[in-house]
Amino acid sequence: MMENLEVFLQIIFWGLYAGCIYILLATGLNLIFGVMKIVNFAHGEFLMIGAYITATIFFISGINPYLIMLLSMLALIGIGAVVERLCFRPILGTGKLNEIFLSIGLIYIFQNMAAIIWTDEWQSVKSPYAGITIQIGPLSVPLDYILIMIFTAVIICGLYLFLKKTTTGMQMRATSQNRKGAMLVGVDVERIDVISFGLGCALAAAAGTLWIVSGQIFNPYMGSIPAIKAFAIIILGGLGSIPGAIIGGLLMGLAENGAAFLLGGIWKDAISFVILIIVLVVRPTGLFGEKGD
Amino acid sequence: MKFSVLFIASILIAAVLIAGCSQPATQPSTTQRVIKVGVIASLTGPASNVGTNMWQSAQVAADEINANGGVPLKDGSKAQIKLIVGDDESTQQGGQKAATKLITDDKVDILVGGYSSAVTSSYQQTVAEYSIPFVVTGASSPIITHRTDINTSYVFHHCPTTDTYGQYTTRFIDQVVRPAVNKELGASSDRPLRLAMIYQDTAFGKGVQSAVNNTITNDKLNIQLVSQQSYKMGESDFRTPLTVIKAANPDAVYLAAFPNEGAPIITQARRDIGLNTIFLNVENNDNAQFYKDLGQWGEGAVIESRFSPYTAPAGDVADAQKEFKESYFKRFGAYPDMMGASTYEGIFIAAQATEDAGTTDKAAVRQALVDLEMPQVIEAMTNQVCSFSPDFRESSFDLWMEQLYYNATLGETRPAIVWPDNLKTTDFVLPTWYAAGSSS
Repeated sequence: MMENLEVFLQIIFWGLYAGCIYILLATGLNLIFGVMKIVNFAHGEFLMIGAYITATIFFISGINPYLIMLLSMLALIGIGAVVERLCFRPILGTGKLNEIFLSIGLIYIFQNMAAIIWTDEWQSVKSPYAGITIQIGPLSVPLDYILIMIFTAVIICGLYLFLKKTTTGMQMRATSQNRKGAMLVGVDVERIDVISFGLGCALAAAAGTLWIVSGQIFNPYMGSIPAIKAFAIIILGGLGSIPGAIIGGLLMGLAENGAAFLLGGIWKDAISFVILIIVLVVRPTGLFGEKGD
Repeated sequence: MKFSVLFIASILIAAVLIAGCSQPATQPSTTQRVIKVGVIASLTGPASNVGTNMWQSAQVAADEINANGGVPLKDGSKAQIKLIVGDDESTQQGGQKAATKLITDDKVDILVGGYSSAVTSSYQQTVAEYSIPFVVTGASSPIITHRTDINTSYVFHHCPTTDTYGQYTTRFIDQVVRPAVNKELGASSDRPLRLAMIYQDTAFGKGVQSAVNNTITNDKLNIQLVSQQSYKMGESDFRTPLTVIKAANPDAVYLAAFPNEGAPIITQARRDIGLNTIFLNVENNDNAQFYKDLGQWGEGAVIESRFSPYTAPAGDVADAQKEFKESYFKRFGAYPDMMGASTYEGIFIAAQATEDAGTTDKAAVRQALVDLEMPQVIEAMTNQVCSFSPDFRESSFDLWMEQLYYNATLGETRPAIVWPDNLKTTDFVLPTWYAAGSSS
């Protein structure tokens, strides 16, 4: 009985860890969608680029990858701003089909560029804390996963404070709620678009960094599946809703690992979409979405 | 606005050019007779590491054959090998596209390669339809030549099947691992070994799982399968199935996984789950990248093998393999892996069959493959001869088991052969940190 409880808690723990990566990725995606209302299927590629930037600096300098994550996030703010300015802004408002095809094109461009720069060999990063475990109740868990959860919480709290307490954050929320209204009261929505896109990409970089620090191997194609799941999460949680992305991400992580435990590994990906369909049938706006999104 | 449109257009064109780039291969002059060999490999996608190795190994083989004058035909002329690569993109759809293009557009005379049984079996219908001789050097499920829904008579299997190596590894577990575990526990010799499996949910993974189950039943082995967990191909997070496996208290865990899955499985098991046991791997993991990704966590693990970047049985095979590894390293700055070795041989087999047929006529080349009796190239073959079995057209290899030892200087493990007795260089040992599943 005690052993079963331990297994159950362990699986919840792995679900929470997976949920953290999803939360960061989906929150960034939702931030961009909320403000700009664009569909960016290439969001997973920002996770991949963030992971590679962290890994490259780590391989060269040996600096703690958790510290490099900040540099990676800053770099992705810049890359995101360039991509928004050159790729998405010109087609903003021209139809979803343009956005979809543009973002699909970006997937191939980023993947091929990464393969040229870093090769498409699988790579891995060794965390300085690999092998250190700590006891939490009956569970003995690696320190890295605790750090991943702490960093996720800190980043999300930081984002929350930024959106709530700063003028730019309030302008982002205003643009998200009513773009025309925001423009009428003097908000420079194009500036807000760049900031939102950059921040969304920075969150993807954080997700990529924490993913590789957890010991997962990576290559230029690592972002495709997480991006699809991030979309499922934001639809599940409600398009444009940050709390929805957080709850959706946690739910997805727990559901995937629960399904792998109860039904077998092949159900891991499928269960997310089963839940998504059920939620959409019962509540078409998603868990936290509002009509009109 | 104009600049942005131009920028987007230019990066899209660049991407198309990048994506469409064909890799350089040995290109004979247009006036020479050529044998067009289509190499199907995963140059992109999750299996790109293995696929690139296969394609590069094929180039080394073609260069050697062409440098020696080419392939003699019955009209007295000599033909050069011309390689054309088809990237299956590690997907079934990609495999279908690559095979169709090679057969219908490039009009290849023979196909070599094919990795992942799921991917390879997806385009076998096209191979059958056009009756193209196909030497499969990567996909290991027996269904490749055993399936009856299509005509497989043009398909020749030059790598051990999951049946073969699944059985071989299970016997190793029974004969070597089980006595060692019982000795460690101080248990009676009739204590069954508690074996767990984690396998890819594809024809390959299920093939290994089936072979293990059948071997235990048919050979009446004293092995108890305590947990069998599957996962989707390309998965990277294995913590939940490994937690379930740990709860089953196994003495050893057998992985049916690709190298990009096997390394994280072992790392996550030992580092995250605390599953300190013996991990047995299938042969496709004997790959330089696998050792690099594993780092210290690979210590004590076992790989069934027939070609390793870092070891070889003493004798002629070692010399031949060393020469191949050096040629490959000189050209590509890395070591070839097992699938690269069999693809290297696959090119020699294609050349020999064409020489024996004296023509590139596909039916004649197929018959030459059926009748093939060629001295082994770089891998140890049964009776030192490359030939295909009359029933399912499968090659027969001499296999061995390696155990990995940590080299702190390199920060990686390196293999040593521990079985069978006539090839071993050291004994199988349980690491000091090993924890048996149960003493009952």
